[in-house]
Amino acid sequence: MRRWYVIGAPYLWLLLFFLVPFFIVFKISLSDIATAIPPYTPTLELAAGWDGIKTFLSQLDTENYTFIASDPLYVDAYWSSVQIAGIATFITLLVAYPIAYGMARAPKDWQATLMMLVILPFWTSFLIRVYAWMGILKKEGLLNLFLMNMGLINEPLTILNTTTAVYIGIVYSYLPFMILPLYSSLEKIKPSLIEAAEDLGSPPWKAFWQITFPLSLPGIFAGCLLVFIPAVGEFVIPDLLGGSDTLMIGKTLWSEFFNNRDWPVSSAVAVVLLFVLILPIVLFQRMQQRQQEAGT
Amino acid sequence: MAGSASATAAQVAPKTAAHKPASRTPAPQTNFAPWKDPAKSPIVRFENVTKRFGDFVAIKNCTLDIYEREFFALLGPSGCGKSTLLRMLAGFEKPTDGRIFVGGKDITDLAPYERTDVNMMFQSYALFPHMTVERNIGFGLRQDGMAKGDIEARVAEAMALLELEKFAHRKPHQLSGGQQQRVALARAIAKKPRIMLLDEPLGALDKRLRQQAQFELMRIQETTGTTFIIVTHDQEEAMTVASRIAVMNHGELVHIATPGDIYEFPGSRYVAQFIGDVNVFEGKVTAIHDGTVDIEWPSGQGQFAATAIDGLSPGQQVWLAMRPEKLRISLAKPTTTCNTIPGKVIDVGYLGSISHYHVRVASGQTVTALRANSAQTVEQNIKWDDDVWLEWPHDVGMILTK
Repeated sequence: MRRWYVIGAPYLWLLLFFLVPFFIVFKISLSDIATAIPPYTPTLELAAGWDGIKTFLSQLDTENYTFIASDPLYVDAYWSSVQIAGIATFITLLVAYPIAYGMARAPKDWQATLMMLVILPFWTSFLIRVYAWMGILKKEGLLNLFLMNMGLINEPLTILNTTTAVYIGIVYSYLPFMILPLYSSLEKIKPSLIEAAEDLGSPPWKAFWQITFPLSLPGIFAGCLLVFIPAVGEFVIPDLLGGSDTLMIGKTLWSEFFNNRDWPVSSAVAVVLLFVLILPIVLFQRMQQRQQEAGT
Repeated sequence: MAGSASATAAQVAPKTAAHKPASRTPAPQTNFAPWKDPAKSPIVRFENVTKRFGDFVAIKNCTLDIYEREFFALLGPSGCGKSTLLRMLAGFEKPTDGRIFVGGKDITDLAPYERTDVNMMFQSYALFPHMTVERNIGFGLRQDGMAKGDIEARVAEAMALLELEKFAHRKPHQLSGGQQQRVALARAIAKKPRIMLLDEPLGALDKRLRQQAQFELMRIQETTGTTFIIVTHDQEEAMTVASRIAVMNHGELVHIATPGDIYEFPGSRYVAQFIGDVNVFEGKVTAIHDGTVDIEWPSGQGQFAATAIDGLSPGQQVWLAMRPEKLRISLAKPTTTCNTIPGKVIDVGYLGSISHYHVRVASGQTVTALRANSAQTVEQNIKWDDDVWLEWPHDVGMILTK
């Protein structure tokens, strides 16, 4: 009996806070916009009993999904989100790998401190940190002031409200999510493996590509997904740092919901987004499972 | 050098050979003793090598020659510097002072991957977890840019040598400890190095497997004709496999000799106690005769005679190291001219093939004697609290001056 409580707890959690909300959103995505409260139709009339449910179900349709698929705005927004998130993830990986590598190779008594420094930014609100970047990147901001005072540029650069600013924002915000799994997989690689490779005739850089890199793949994979998945649906960063030409699905969803008050379409956008992300999530799960089976 | 003590004993022997049994001289180790041949040049030479880690001196001014086809053991307690010495030869540590030569060539400044004559088998095996057994063994050959067919042949040869063919496509985590150990050996041997370094290669195996693996190591060393240098803290392992053993302590080479010499003529109390069991009697030289000396027990319980070594003078403090199996234990007072000493049995350790007797003698010292249980009986005629006599001829102990 006790066992069932233990197993049941996470499932109950998932049911209440994921599955039930998901079905509510899914239901809304199948309805039509209406000038009402709530702003869609049909609504479920449980008082009317079985007939009420039947009429409710008959009024649902997939019209919103066909609309999303046919309107290039949405398709472009999905595609551009995946693209921006993909490129940003790759840049994050390039920045994070040397940091994680340095941490893993640092003296043991330093590693805890370095880890603290990596997660230190979480002590400040995410939103405030993104606002801070606005202050840094704007025309008369810190970065431009610095570059002009150094004499590197004559005119201030336009960075804020461009896609570049979005990349900077994503890389900065999600860097710890990349560093931590990378560090944990790099830290597990025994130094004797590298020594063995060198002893067998492999120069250090070749030993890196033959031993360190393949053994850190699980960390790379985990880190990339931890950055990619939330970055695709990111709203705050493109909204605050991006320009009008930065097309991301999170922003589209927001304006659909709050500006157009079109709950059914925005729900459909959200459901499609979920399915776009399911593939990498499933991949992530399988990867983790394989890792556990390998018993590392 | 500490090593001179046993050499002295060996040189003394012929001079006084008249009344000495032949066994007193170190038995020649078959014919293989290149270290005695002045015409031979060593394959490995450490020349005044010192290694410091900050304030800690890991290796103190160490000079050591190792010859081709030797199975050389570096033996010592943990932290004595034996692994550091090996890692300097592999190139993972750089000497603070001194030079290292391989085949007459100075390799002190070469990186590990440039030291093609030397390959190492690591203590934890360091097998690449993401590669199959076959890929692990072929790793070193691929680094050399060898042709694919040649690599396959070499890998197959190494796998055959260590009976690993069945496991070719397994990953290391699917292998037992003993199998992993063999893969690690095969991976290093596949490179056909002139010198194989083995860092505690059998430390992770259980006792039975370890003994098996020791003989396998010897077999492979003989078939390949490679020079093996093994680091171990297990004196039995060193005795079993090695042609010569270097005993190390606190970063210094205390004694270098063949297993037989090191056991019978240890040269110092440290070496005597490190290799095997030993009783050490303390005493003072009272008289020196032709080839023998009289030594007085410190507590004044009489004297005993022992074979002399060079450079003794009356009144000098010495120690007599006596292996337990060389003491005879009996209930009746012996009538021989041997050294005798009475005592009381305080412990009997029955091991099946042999029994250990712990005997307390009048000085309060506990002496261990060993007896083979040659008769097939479970009745032990010597029991606890029995008064016994220990006896030994004057020529079975080793006088030590330090």
